[in-house]
Amino acid sequence: MKQEISAFMDGELFEDESEILLDQIKGSHSARKNWAAYHLIGDVLRQPEHIHCDLSAKIRNLMQDEPVLFAPRGRAIREKTRAFAMSAAASLAAIGVVSWMSLQIGPESAPRMAMQLNSIRPAKAEILPKSNDYLMAHQEFSPSTDMSGGAYYIRTVSYRTDDVQPRNNLRNK
Amino acid sequence: MKLSAVIFRVLLGVSLLFAPNVFGEENSEGFDWLKIVIFAEHQTDYSGAFVYQHDNQVSTSRITHVIEKHGGYEKLESLDGPQREIVRHHGQIWSHLDHEMEQVGSQQARGKFPSLLPAQLSALRENYRATLLGYERVAGYNAQVVLFKPIDNLRYTHKIWVHTDSGLLLKAAVLDSKNKLVEQYAFTQLQIGGKIDRSWVKQSKPTGLPGSGFHKQHDTSRIGFPVNSGWVADGIPMGYRKTMEIQRPMHGNHAPVTQIVFSDGLSAISIFIELEDGDEDDVEGLSGRGAMNLYHKVVGKYLYTVVGEVPPHTVMRVLDSIRNNGN
Repeated sequence: MKQEISAFMDGELFEDESEILLDQIKGSHSARKNWAAYHLIGDVLRQPEHIHCDLSAKIRNLMQDEPVLFAPRGRAIREKTRAFAMSAAASLAAIGVVSWMSLQIGPESAPRMAMQLNSIRPAKAEILPKSNDYLMAHQEFSPSTDMSGGAYYIRTVSYRTDDVQPRNNLRNK
Repeated sequence: MKLSAVIFRVLLGVSLLFAPNVFGEENSEGFDWLKIVIFAEHQTDYSGAFVYQHDNQVSTSRITHVIEKHGGYEKLESLDGPQREIVRHHGQIWSHLDHEMEQVGSQQARGKFPSLLPAQLSALRENYRATLLGYERVAGYNAQVVLFKPIDNLRYTHKIWVHTDSGLLLKAAVLDSKNKLVEQYAFTQLQIGGKIDRSWVKQSKPTGLPGSGFHKQHDTSRIGFPVNSGWVADGIPMGYRKTMEIQRPMHGNHAPVTQIVFSDGLSAISIFIELEDGDEDDVEGLSGRGAMNLYHKVVGKYLYTVVGEVPPHTVMRVLDSIRNNGN
């Protein structure tokens, strides 16, 4: 079967042989897999910019491992949907997708994501106090400072109510 | 009164006949308002309370701005949460916490009256469409609303409310490409001109700055100096021009940091390049506060940091394009 598929792809089969082969491929799961594998090999040999790689089976398997959700509505289902979406994305190891998705999510869910995907950092976190130096250094040259006076320095001293070390936010030393 | 209304209508009717022309004028009038805001900001004494809203958080602050012989002084105080105060004069910044003043940052003094340079203005026109959105009331004042919509999604939409009499910025909002509010700052109460408390300008001078007055400038250990570092970033979006390239001290005694600033007239992007010091606390990745996004990444022996009032994907794109063209 494998040789026939290979020959067919190289255009070395007669028309009637091809039809029989195609019927077999339609009927047989393993033949379909071989068919896909040979195309993938061919693609790789030709070194194109993009290689078509069928991930549907892998994703389907991963989805089957996910817990079934019966939560009726509201916050719970939203969060579980996120969790599910995140793990599917993690299986693709597509960091770009992850960062895009986490931008859609409020900052309050960032720690949760960090727990689920400890290999990938939460994409958009709260700016840490130790990075305030950079904000301060940037703000002076920003056109927003020209427009609003010092008001936009509020960005550099902004805090959360659970901010335990407010003094450090402004220290330069 | 009636006559002027009639004249206004006639003018409106006539101008509508030349609709495309009107549109063009509106466009440039939006940028004129921006020039007015920048001019007014550096001319006017005012004091007021404003709210700053970002990422589901709201804070209230008071800003006082007075013009003295030596230029403008600004004081920013938080009205809720821990008590903080920032005093700013000529690019020098002091923070005031627990009645103790310390200098937290300093830049080269800028011109007394910064204004939009012709180059910046043309960059603005190339990258934003300005639309006048009529009048609204903010903090009891009448304001002209102007929308600046970018031509690409590498920058945010800016919406400003300008006091029609004084030209002060009463409210400003930053919106993302889906028109979702990213951050907003708005005066709730504002006094323009008149009797404004200036006692803090003198009071602030000697405190916590041993041996140096409030007016002492160019403390060389804190000010950056211009360099040509050889660092470039091709990922800087179209229309951003380099406005500054300096080496400056940061984080106390560490080696100097190279800072390169790019501006498109409404927003800026800063690139920081420093030697990675192996500090395990250095957190790589993206963080944000309101419109400000910050991206850290260690590349080879350097720590790159990109900060700007631009969307997260823009700071990432800029950082990933940083390279040294060998200087």
